[in-house]
Amino acid sequence: MSIPDFLRPRLVGKRFEGHSIPLELLGDLAVLEAMVIEVAKWRYLQDNPNRKRSPRKFTEGISLTLTSVEQGSAVAVIALSLGMGNLLQQSQQDYFEQARDAIVRAIGAAAENKPPTLHLPQRGLAYFDRLGRSLLDGEAIEFPTGSPDAPASLTKETRLRLLRAAEVTERTEEVHLRGGIHAVNQEELTFEIMLPDGSKIPGPISKPHFETIMDASYGYRQGVKVQLDGVGNFNRSERLQKIEAVEHVTLLDPLDFQSQLEELKVLKDGWLDGRGYAPPAEGLDWLAKAFNEHYSDNLNLPYVYPVAEGGVRFEWSIGPQDVSLEIDLRERSGEWHSLNLETDDEEAQLLKLDTKDGWEWIVERLQTLSGAAS
Amino acid sequence: MTGTTLLLRQIHPSFVKLGRVTSQAFRPTPKDEQKLSVYNGDMITAAASWVHYRGRKLESVGVMAVTVEECTREDLTARSSPKEFAEHAEIDFLNFNPKQCEKKGKKLKNVAESRGWLHQAEGA
Repeated sequence: MSIPDFLRPRLVGKRFEGHSIPLELLGDLAVLEAMVIEVAKWRYLQDNPNRKRSPRKFTEGISLTLTSVEQGSAVAVIALSLGMGNLLQQSQQDYFEQARDAIVRAIGAAAENKPPTLHLPQRGLAYFDRLGRSLLDGEAIEFPTGSPDAPASLTKETRLRLLRAAEVTERTEEVHLRGGIHAVNQEELTFEIMLPDGSKIPGPISKPHFETIMDASYGYRQGVKVQLDGVGNFNRSERLQKIEAVEHVTLLDPLDFQSQLEELKVLKDGWLDGRGYAPPAEGLDWLAKAFNEHYSDNLNLPYVYPVAEGGVRFEWSIGPQDVSLEIDLRERSGEWHSLNLETDDEEAQLLKLDTKDGWEWIVERLQTLSGAAS
Repeated sequence: MTGTTLLLRQIHPSFVKLGRVTSQAFRPTPKDEQKLSVYNGDMITAAASWVHYRGRKLESVGVMAVTVEECTREDLTARSSPKEFAEHAEIDFLNFNPKQCEKKGKKLKNVAESRGWLHQAEGA
């Protein structure tokens, strides 16, 4: 016996167009089964305060099943299966529907900045550590309510509110880190990654990633870095404490542009012996986007340095050419200078970098200089 | 100081990337009043200058150098400047515009790089 339309969460966001659901998000939805069961038990005990636990067989054979994915961004149709026989009395079945409704109401309350604890106990709210963890900015899981125009919307923000209400001391989040592997314990199969701010975060080594992590470890002194995607454990101060699971590890180019920018992001005013302004974060974000859009993959990556006035400086050594581009992040402009150290020939150019013309000029000049040097 | 006097320049950690030093390390920043601070290599060794510099609570991953003569070749005047401490010297960029300073910084860095590190902090 089953309730076929037990839950119909609608997934909203670009990733779900074409009514498809990424497999990683199924991991989020999978936690609904344990969550519904726990909340149903809680509801039962609320109605039966003299009982210490829910009845035997209360949860036997209970499972949630994804039966189809329907159109409408993507709607996951989830059935509640009540087991082989009709083991439960109708009144007991109702608790599972009450549990579902309580979960949806808690999400709705969090979305409206109201206390979710009016609808769910803290141990029930703790399940949001997993439910919604894979959501990206701008995405939502919308759960139908009695009002078709006002679904309860689980987003990254509402999930954080739910977890705060749960008062959990730790929470997990997907993490995408760049850093060097500065320590490996081969016996215990653990490693530590050093992030641009100098923090060292431990994590486990699983077999598929062993070689990459070892390669990165051997190259640590030479500046070898990795991109690590996985799940991290954060404390209540929002500080990353450890990596719980590693999904991907990729060796990066030693001059990986994003890593170099991340190193600049941690600079504070006064970084140059009491002088030196920190580059503004929004300026670095703009630069990352512009560089990704306009810089050619065929060119050598620049060495990236901070500038005392709060700018960023790219440098390239191309044969005898010492090339620099000093970027003003506020004006979004750059001063190009190339000097042939053998002939003293030089070229200087002021460039607007908020248009593609400036970047095309840079790419063209670098291609010419690289061609001449090869 | 003579033409062969080494002018010892402390290199800030943010000015080194994968062992490559930016030419910014060899030109003054706007707040340096167009003068690049160095140590007079006739009076102090590279290692001792690094210890002295760190003792002033300033950051340095190591010491590179240019000679007085190499500065002269770029029309830069190097002089002793013992106001702060006896071994202090400076390379004067006062008469040059930013583009000229850029070029001179790159030229100085090039000769300093050819000479290599005269002292490096442990682990740098």
